[in-house]
Amino acid sequence: MRAFDRPRFLRVFVWIFFVFLFAPIVLVILFSFNSSRSLQQFDGFSLRWYETFFESESLRDSLIASIQIALITMVVATILGTMLAYGLVRARTRWSDTANVLMLIPLVTPEIVAGASALLLFTQVGLQLSLTTIVLAHITFSISYVTVVVRARLAALGRQVEDASMDLGATRWQTFRLVTLPALWPAIIAAGLLCFALSFDDFVLSFFTTGESPQPLPVRIWTQIRFGVRPTINAIGTFMLVISTLSIGLALLLPRLLGRRESGLKVLLGREGA
Amino acid sequence: MTSANTNRAHSAEPSASAIRFEGVTKTFGDFEAVKELDLEIDKGEFFSLLGPSGCGKTTTLRMVAGFELPSTGRIFLDGEPVETVPPYKRNVNTVFQSYALFEHLNIADNVAFGLKRRKVAKDEIRTRVAEALELVEMTGREKSRPTELSGGQKQRVALARALVNRPAVLLLDEPLGALDLKLRKQMQVELKGIQREVGITFLYVTHDQEEALAMSDRIAVMEGGEIRQCGSPEEIYEQPTGPFVAGFIGVSNLLPGDDGSQISVRPEKIWLGTLENGMTAMEGTVVERVYVGTTTQVIVELESGVRLVALEQNTASARADDRWEIGERVKLGWHPEHARELR
Amino acid sequence: MNENRFATGFLIPGGLWLLLLFVVPVVLVLALSFGYTDDLGEAIYDTRLDNYERLVDPDYLPVLFRSAGFALGAVVLCLLIGYPVAYYIAVFGGRWKNVLIALVVLPFFVNYLIRTYAWIAMLGDDGLVNGVFDTSIRFINTPYAVVGGLVYGFLAFMILPIYAALDRMDPALIEAGKDLYGSPWETFRHVTWPHTFQGVLAGSVLVFLPAVGDFVAASLLGGPEEVMVGNLIQQQFQASDNWPFGAALTIAMMAFLLIWMSLYLRAAAREGKEATA
Repeated sequence: MRAFDRPRFLRVFVWIFFVFLFAPIVLVILFSFNSSRSLQQFDGFSLRWYETFFESESLRDSLIASIQIALITMVVATILGTMLAYGLVRARTRWSDTANVLMLIPLVTPEIVAGASALLLFTQVGLQLSLTTIVLAHITFSISYVTVVVRARLAALGRQVEDASMDLGATRWQTFRLVTLPALWPAIIAAGLLCFALSFDDFVLSFFTTGESPQPLPVRIWTQIRFGVRPTINAIGTFMLVISTLSIGLALLLPRLLGRRESGLKVLLGREGA
Repeated sequence: MTSANTNRAHSAEPSASAIRFEGVTKTFGDFEAVKELDLEIDKGEFFSLLGPSGCGKTTTLRMVAGFELPSTGRIFLDGEPVETVPPYKRNVNTVFQSYALFEHLNIADNVAFGLKRRKVAKDEIRTRVAEALELVEMTGREKSRPTELSGGQKQRVALARALVNRPAVLLLDEPLGALDLKLRKQMQVELKGIQREVGITFLYVTHDQEEALAMSDRIAVMEGGEIRQCGSPEEIYEQPTGPFVAGFIGVSNLLPGDDGSQISVRPEKIWLGTLENGMTAMEGTVVERVYVGTTTQVIVELESGVRLVALEQNTASARADDRWEIGERVKLGWHPEHARELR
Repeated sequence: MNENRFATGFLIPGGLWLLLLFVVPVVLVLALSFGYTDDLGEAIYDTRLDNYERLVDPDYLPVLFRSAGFALGAVVLCLLIGYPVAYYIAVFGGRWKNVLIALVVLPFFVNYLIRTYAWIAMLGDDGLVNGVFDTSIRFINTPYAVVGGLVYGFLAFMILPIYAALDRMDPALIEAGKDLYGSPWETFRHVTWPHTFQGVLAGSVLVFLPAVGDFVAASLLGGPEEVMVGNLIQQQFQASDNWPFGAALTIAMMAFLLIWMSLYLRAAAREGKEATA
């Protein structure tokens, strides 16, 4: 395999790639600690932009709003998505195929379509735009992610364990509670945390369905970028990066911490037990 | 193919059989997995369903367990019809091919699972779990997790988990399939012993004919959803009624007989060289010798081109492959009663 | 069967939610696309084709083509950049494979807006590059910046499927290819590429779909000449308040994407059949 003389060229290419990939990120993080507003030179270490961020009541409200939205989305989407996954794998009806397609469509729908249609629905129904409308929209588009992750795990689990449970005297509901759910926990948790990260970071959907105030953080970032109040953005961005990394990190590590052997990554990819 | 009479054991007890199938069929869409099954299995029997994959044996088992409902016909457990009885209410337990242990529970909780569902008292659960684990020689592993066990150990736990509930019938779906040869042979003996000890009816599904012959009181050989023959291991082996059974059980030599029928002769019944009076005799050329340790298979080609396999024992005094040279012409024969005519 | 009824019940909550909050809204958009805006600015449902006629106006048609063009450009660039990277990590990564892939994915945890904004910070007129090198090169507000922004935004979606396909490949196949074909290029053409084709298809779709509808890149990195259909839609629904037209644009874009999706599915299915044949 090493006999190709390609590696050297390829290796250089990949190095350059990583440099370009990380340069903007490093810039943002670095300049979030810049003591001046300049984007062109680093004038010394300072936390002033973080102070500006956390001292601003409206930005704090936005942060809390983002977290609230993400938490509610996580809980509701996980419940609905898990149930949907179970139904898709275990039920044999003529609706199964339709349900399956229905579940997959949100995954391939561009966010702008999602946003515009959600906006239209809320307006028609007379629902005023607020955190509630954002949550409703987020849940709608998170369900499919949960279903895909949980379904993979459920299919891998196989029917035999559930058959065994019923064979031993557990009703279908007891089987779901005592055997299926415990086996699904790693996938459910991973999917939930994925939802959290996606919701917390979401811009387009929120942009279309947000009310006046409070607005989630990504919408505030957009306004700030458009109207040029630049340096605080670096601080907000770095902070959000930490939150997102933490939740994805938890999604990957939590299954292992809870005593399962597989890593969260395998669970998310549906390769548990592979 | 076989009348209901042959599917019943030879005693004429008035009490209900453990399992009875009446005209049971199972269709999946266009596919007929089980066709017109009539069968009675007696209490305390070790009964095997034997056949190649796709013959319908597992489907039959699942219908007894309650995971599938018959498309037509009825199934009776201990004389009672069970169409409306869901699996969790049947007095039947299953040992699955993949063990299907609950990985989030330890061994003790696995075994106790069925008892807890029936709300058995805690003390009684503890005693019965201990008994069950002793029966399968897994005492001391109560706190272990399924993932820590080997295949054979998981199999034992699965068995304990089923038996602890004292079911009327135990269903076993190719439980030894995933084990290596030596372990499988060992478990076969153990399973047979446990069945004798516990005395309940075992309905065993396998594709391994040696396994079925070794363990069963009676065997039903299935193919294409139907029972081709049902009887004791000796009957099945020595008196196959059709070409499928003759070919599936053991090795069989098939010769064309008169008027289009086929004659089947078992390899170990063929004598080479010196024959006895009254034997059907033939002549042929040795084309191959296969040494397999205890025996040697000698393959002889007759004038007609038909090849017969003869089995010779390798004893302390003589090794069969020393006796016959490839290319050598040899006389072979068998007692007429060892030749079976197949319809 | 009882089991079916039990499991089917589970389909209802999620299915109902998706029906009411996803299907119904899209149907509403479709319905509105045939409507119009009255003098008071209210959106009225009707059965006119005016909005769709407007789409093919010289004012708007270029926008549609441009969106498709930018998206396609992004896909091609993502492929040209992403494939070698995926190849390197999968084939030469060794025990650093997982780390490297994690490093590829890590930047994508930074908010998309911020990642795009970072390029302004770097390449803007008052940005780092112009400051450090004391130049005034116009990077931003060009079509290249927009495509670049799209590439940077969605590159991971191209790399991951290709990496997965390469990782799944049996290295023995490449060895056999080397023996059979001799040169690295021939081996790649006849062995590696066919085996990763599914991954390439998947990656292309995963980049193309969001890129076509994107408005962030064009908004932040482009000028008036770089308006994409996403920007148009966003404007209709927010600034211009012409929802029916926005609806028509949305439907047009969806139809466009559906055509490509069905082509992709057919290509993927065909590849799948050939692979197993």
